[in-house]
Amino acid sequence: MSDVIEPGLELLERQNRFVSEHFRRIFVQIYHLVQNVADAQDLTQEAFIKALQHQEQLKDGQKAAQWLSRIATNTAIDFLRRSRRATFSELEDAFESDSETPEQILLRSEHREYLEDGLRLLSPRERAALIMRDVEGLPAEEVAQRLNCSKATVRSHIANGRTKFRRYMEKRKR
Amino acid sequence: MRHPNQATLALHAGGDLGPFARWFTSRHLARCESCREEVAAFDEVRQSLPGLAEIPDLPWNRLAAEIKANVRLGLAAGECVRSADPPLRQSAFINRGRALVAFACAIVLVVTGMFLERPAPTAMLVEGPLVQNTQYGIEVKAGGQTLGLTNSGVQRVTYSLDAQGSMGARYVDPETGAVTINTVYVQ
Repeated sequence: MSDVIEPGLELLERQNRFVSEHFRRIFVQIYHLVQNVADAQDLTQEAFIKALQHQEQLKDGQKAAQWLSRIATNTAIDFLRRSRRATFSELEDAFESDSETPEQILLRSEHREYLEDGLRLLSPRERAALIMRDVEGLPAEEVAQRLNCSKATVRSHIANGRTKFRRYMEKRKR
Repeated sequence: MRHPNQATLALHAGGDLGPFARWFTSRHLARCESCREEVAAFDEVRQSLPGLAEIPDLPWNRLAAEIKANVRLGLAAGECVRSADPPLRQSAFINRGRALVAFACAIVLVVTGMFLERPAPTAMLVEGPLVQNTQYGIEVKAGGQTLGLTNSGVQRVTYSLDAQGSMGARYVDPETGAVTINTVYVQ
């Protein structure tokens, strides 16, 4: 009996380890794209399920990490395409901290909303490229890898993203 | 002076241009005030975005436990769905068989379509007398006998036929110039 259970347990153990190793990085990566904790949690789970359904891709640690990042990005982009929205309902709770005054929390929350409104003007891929490059500071090569496209396409997304965002900021200043 | 386009300036602000384009743009910026302002505006965009990098204070341990549990659940559900699929789907033989059946059905459909769409053959029931034109003239056949009305020595004859079954031949005699019109009525 134990012979039958052992491989299952081992698999479960491996899956748990894989989730533990990568979950925070993947959560943050998705959160940067969707800017919402609840959505980021759902999408992180979805990305892990998709990845773990293809165990054969997870043998090489480094490749598995890159592959998982790509799955996470695609999952978030699909979500953004579907919803074309981002909610901030939980922002006030999530960002509350003892070290800040209510005014500071409000200001920070307003600033995020201001940035988020600008991001909504971008297409999901432009948004993803801009966040990966200007928020996460990834090199264009890695952004291209995650978005599964050429470096030239990434540059075009980044240029479009910055241009749209700049126009938005100028409009808001007026 | 030719200015770099907006996209080039946007990319220059983030150091995303290739070496040559970067050198070229830098040279231009050194002597163009308006483009420098453009780059500064793009730089401002870049400076503001890292505000989005902040992650709220989250109970990471609880989140990890929840995610692990839900991932396990999701994988188990996926397994259930997969095992509920009929095993026949996995068989290459069955798949080939299905493809063959589909192909055969398509062939039958095409053949049936061609059969139904083909032009109906004209009924050639010849019970009464038959009138027709030949190379010599108009010919009437009835009861195994033939009667011919020849247009001897004439090269160009115009035949006409009407719905009642009559046939006419019109021609000009090359020697006399006389116009001849023959009409045969069949009853």
